[in-house]
Amino acid sequence: MNAHTATHPHNRAVTLLRLILLASLLAAWEILAQSGWLYRDVVPSLLSIGCALASLLSSPDYYFHLSVTVLEIAGALAIGGTIGVLTGLVLGANPFAGRAIEPYIYYLGPTPKIIFFPIMIMWFGVGPGSKIAMGAVSCFFPIALSVAAGMRQIDPVLIRVGRSFRAQAWQMAWKIYLPAMRHPILNGVRLGLGIAIIGTLLAETKLSNRGIGHLIMRAYSVFDMPKMYALLIILFALAIGANAIVGRIGGLDTIRRS
Amino acid sequence: MTLASQPVSNIWADMPILSAKGISKKFETAEGPLIAVNNVSFDVAPGQFLSVIGPSGCGKSTLFNIIGGLTEAYDGTVTVAGETVRGPHPSIGMIFQEESTFPWRTVLDNVCFPLEISNTPKAQRVEKARHFISLVGLSGFEKRYPAELSGGMRQRVAMARTLASEPKILLMDEPFAALDEQTRLLLGDKVLQIQQQLQQTTLLITHNIAEAVQLSDRILVMSYRPGKVKRVVDIKLPRPRTSEIVTSAEFGMCVAQVWNDLREEATRGMQEAERLR
Amino acid sequence: MNAAAAMMLRSVPAAVGLALFLGLAGVAEILLRFGVLNRFVVPPPSDIAASFGRLFAEEHLLTRFLATSQECLYAMVLLAIIGVAAGTALQQMPLLRRACETWIASLASAPIVLMYPLFLVIFGRSNATIIVMGVIAGLPPVILKTVEGLSGTRKVLLDVGRSFSLTRRQMFLKIMLPAALPTIFVGLRLGLIFSLINIVGVEFLINFGGLGQLINDLAERYDLPGMYATIVFVILVSVLFFLATERLERWVGRA
Repeated sequence: MNAHTATHPHNRAVTLLRLILLASLLAAWEILAQSGWLYRDVVPSLLSIGCALASLLSSPDYYFHLSVTVLEIAGALAIGGTIGVLTGLVLGANPFAGRAIEPYIYYLGPTPKIIFFPIMIMWFGVGPGSKIAMGAVSCFFPIALSVAAGMRQIDPVLIRVGRSFRAQAWQMAWKIYLPAMRHPILNGVRLGLGIAIIGTLLAETKLSNRGIGHLIMRAYSVFDMPKMYALLIILFALAIGANAIVGRIGGLDTIRRS
Repeated sequence: MTLASQPVSNIWADMPILSAKGISKKFETAEGPLIAVNNVSFDVAPGQFLSVIGPSGCGKSTLFNIIGGLTEAYDGTVTVAGETVRGPHPSIGMIFQEESTFPWRTVLDNVCFPLEISNTPKAQRVEKARHFISLVGLSGFEKRYPAELSGGMRQRVAMARTLASEPKILLMDEPFAALDEQTRLLLGDKVLQIQQQLQQTTLLITHNIAEAVQLSDRILVMSYRPGKVKRVVDIKLPRPRTSEIVTSAEFGMCVAQVWNDLREEATRGMQEAERLR
Repeated sequence: MNAAAAMMLRSVPAAVGLALFLGLAGVAEILLRFGVLNRFVVPPPSDIAASFGRLFAEEHLLTRFLATSQECLYAMVLLAIIGVAAGTALQQMPLLRRACETWIASLASAPIVLMYPLFLVIFGRSNATIIVMGVIAGLPPVILKTVEGLSGTRKVLLDVGRSFSLTRRQMFLKIMLPAALPTIFVGLRLGLIFSLINIVGVEFLINFGGLGQLINDLAERYDLPGMYATIVFVILVSVLFFLATERLERWVGRA
């Protein structure tokens, strides 16, 4: 939201409406929780969720599991992202390779990745390896596709400028191609991060003995609903926050540098 | 008079710094080969301002790319001070028709670009860049990004960037094509002032007659497909000039003279374009 | 003749891509046959191809496929009804839209599918869990694109409607909705793709339903060629679905 709308008189109404919406949502939740209409604590009281959240955030155990998951996602993004960027560069730079190989990546992109998990277990074991592999496979596709598209969208005159000043190959790459592609690369990373989080955590819920996904399944198996909600809240907050941070890096660029 | 008795500076004045001999370029298209440029030759003396003018489709931009060294396969030779051009030459600085500033760099960093490429020390880089920024009249905008500037200002940034590489020859391809008429006249003033101040050898490619007459010492009129040199017109308007010259009678006569040569070609180009439609 | 040659030229990269793919399968086959790679980790491609007959006959691949399709169909209907209705409501109430649109957009980037254990508690291991997950995952794009399409109606068309003094209802049904249809379809397609991905995924995760469960079953029985073949089948189905809806989207956009 830019400075112009911030001073808009409607803005206060929007904030008010948001607060009312949130309050009524929470109130409805609490009424439902107290009514006992739903079986098995499916809608636990806000207080119990809050307590679960607090006890979770104050337990060292939780931070151990969080660090496992964060490291797995970071590893997945590093591996899948690197391979994705390199693939995207090759496909974007070479029209022939692009037309020969890119359709496969384009059409394989929107397919369910989690079904590869049994294969990943066989290849990389039941430990973090298979989770990292799941995340890496997931995030490879959007990153490769947006880097390839970004490479093709570079304004050709900028390349001619570089050549006219007789820039070396590495200078062209570092000073022209890379900065010219920063938006598509960042956007690819943003998409890839979201998908890597999903891939890694789904794999953890399917089979693992550590990580946030494991905690969720453990809470599920003992029907500790408040804890499950607390975990999901944390997870959503982290995912949306990470997405917003990467988006902000790219977004700020958009405003300041077109 | 013998050669030895001539002042040294005059020898250089008569020696072309840029010379094109028998330039031809053919493109393969779906409808068969297309000769874009056919046997074009010309010389540019040091300090001279030469314009190449012609209708759209006379191969002007092709010529620009060949002289700039961005096009490899062509017939003929381009020489700079006697040295054959193969690829972009350090003595030639190009200013492009399209929006060509780097949107991710500030004005200062944009102008520093060629100095980074040539590994100029940082302090020297900034000093030089500031000098050329002030030369194009953009002092105070060093920290701005191109998106925050008008089209005319961005084109001046591109100009300062090319000037910062201190080329012996400035090569411009319709640098004002995307601008409105008034901005174009005022920028023309800026170019005149800089060119006269730096004694900058300049080759301008354009389709705008008034612009060519306002700026040039000599104009090459190109024909429509294949692009050949149809006529060479010397502009004897007094120097130093400013944009005020466009109101003078002599200016009008020069424009009329060039338009006489150009009209036939432009008509042919228009008919061709309509036939293809 | 020129056109034919151009066609040939254009199909060269595709042919090279296909050849590359088949070549990779061939290399894997050879390495496996000679025991360089472990065939208990990667089954030979020929075994995978050969197991399709068995999958159809013994594992009821077709029935499984139909079961998944049915879930997708239910999800699609719910997605269209809920998504378009919610989008319309948001578009009609600008204040509500300004309050909620960013929330919905950020929900689209949240790992919604990870809520599946929650619905597992509510609905148990059942079709309902799978369908609900599919619908929730697909909703954000449908809602957002409906809002975008309806508010993107060209002003001159609205003025035309006003000049005929249409009622608000007529304006919506006769002008805004038809004008927004291509955009809404883009959202529906996107939502449906998310749905399909999540439906198969949740089937696999909760070991219930159609194709996803079959993959899980075969993995647990260590039937590697069968499992790989089912994965290939799922990918083929997804790609075909993607292609078909892409065609449809282009057709709707043109009409």
